[in-house]
Amino acid sequence: MVVWSQVALAGVWGGLLALERRAFLQAMFSRPLVAATSMGLLLGEVESGLYVGMLLELYHLGAANLGAALPENDTIAATGCSAAAAGCALSTGGGGTPAMWALAIILFGWLGALGRKVDRWLEPYNTRLSRKAVAVADEGQLRRAVQQNLWGMWPHFLIYAALAGGCSVVGFLVGPAVSHLPLRLVRGLAWAYPAMASGAAAIAARGSHARHSAAYAGVTAGVVVAASAALLILRRGL
Amino acid sequence: MSQPPPQPLGPPPVPASTGLSAWTLWRVFARSLFLQASWNPQGMQNLGLAYALFPALKALYPDPERQMAAVRRHMVFFNTQPYMAAAILGGVLFHESRIARGEEPPEKVVSFKAALMGPLAALGDGFFWLSLRPALGAFCAALVPLLQEWAAVLFLVLYNAVHLTLRARLFRMGLLLGDRLVEAVAHAQLPAWGARLRTVGAASAGGAVAYLSMSLGANQGGQVGNLLAGGYLGLGVLAYWLVSKRFGNYALLYLAASLAVAAGAFL
Repeated sequence: MVVWSQVALAGVWGGLLALERRAFLQAMFSRPLVAATSMGLLLGEVESGLYVGMLLELYHLGAANLGAALPENDTIAATGCSAAAAGCALSTGGGGTPAMWALAIILFGWLGALGRKVDRWLEPYNTRLSRKAVAVADEGQLRRAVQQNLWGMWPHFLIYAALAGGCSVVGFLVGPAVSHLPLRLVRGLAWAYPAMASGAAAIAARGSHARHSAAYAGVTAGVVVAASAALLILRRGL
Repeated sequence: MSQPPPQPLGPPPVPASTGLSAWTLWRVFARSLFLQASWNPQGMQNLGLAYALFPALKALYPDPERQMAAVRRHMVFFNTQPYMAAAILGGVLFHESRIARGEEPPEKVVSFKAALMGPLAALGDGFFWLSLRPALGAFCAALVPLLQEWAAVLFLVLYNAVHLTLRARLFRMGLLLGDRLVEAVAHAQLPAWGARLRTVGAASAGGAVAYLSMSLGANQGGQVGNLLAGGYLGLGVLAYWLVSKRFGNYALLYLAASLAVAAGAFL
């Protein structure tokens, strides 16, 4: 059953984070790790948000907004996926599982690419605002001219709020169906989460922009594997 | 009027005598946080810059004609890294206060912006977008299994300790030094710090591949836990190789999911 207050909350938070990403502040509340975790926290399913956010943070690590180039919109991917995962978990009442996180990412991970198209689509509106500001300034209405700047935010808020809210509705609707899936498929989905996380971390190592990234990533991975194996042997010995 | 010597980013500079009140300076700084609210391909951050500067221009030019001319000269093309824009904003106020006093021609502030926005954008993009953010993102994401949601809090605290401090300092340096802030910014050696941070990012991501594979594989695999952990590790190495061969990221993500779902269904 869809909890509409939660859907509204997901929408408002998704819209606000979309503004923080580019229009206001850019203090990284809109990064996937923070955006998804906070979305999970607001919807009462922080673990789902956290693990969805961790994976998407790694996946989008190398993306950067340089000059006029537009990267994928990592924020809507994070808010959409986390809202869906949280909705899914809340509708079952049993808490989030790796299978639900994987399903949310499979369903909505591509929103980052859609977000880039939306951002591009909204640019002409801002160009019109800029032209209007110049025209209004020429008429001597300076305060009104500079305040055109703030009008550039509302379409972003509305569109991304609708998308995040929509994702949470889908999560609420899909959640009960997950428990009716064949056990083998649920197990496969649960296995898909770490598989995607592993792939995303490899993408992150490559996207770190470091010289010799393979060497640094390989050495750290080797140390972690050796430490984990040593711990395992110690535990078995005890 | 002689300009004070350039200073490194370290000690906070003394506020300049622009003739603007602290409240006006604070308003300009706060409004600069909306620099990209109406980012557009034609003027880019032009409207955001004019919006941020407006309270100061209003105070500096009581005469409506001069005020209009001042606002109009900041509605032309402007684009730089949004945090580094704080330095340019400070520098613009430095120059505008001199223009208002008749000590400089208006062209001076236009050439100041044109000269600085490119180099500061390159510095800021390289340090913030391509180094600090990926390094802290990878580091904190790798800490999620240990710190849980506090990893997200740690990311925000570490990032903004650098971001907000630099942003405020750059604004004050622009106010004090004008054109000479470039030398002061160069003292901060941001490119060298950036290279170190990128190394942290790569190492953290490598650690994350290994830790996630081992811990999640062992937790979910049951009797085939070790096999699963090895499989995830192998998948991480394969993914790195595929990405280096320009294999699409989405294709990779969905390929990993498909393989795991198939393995879960048939093993």
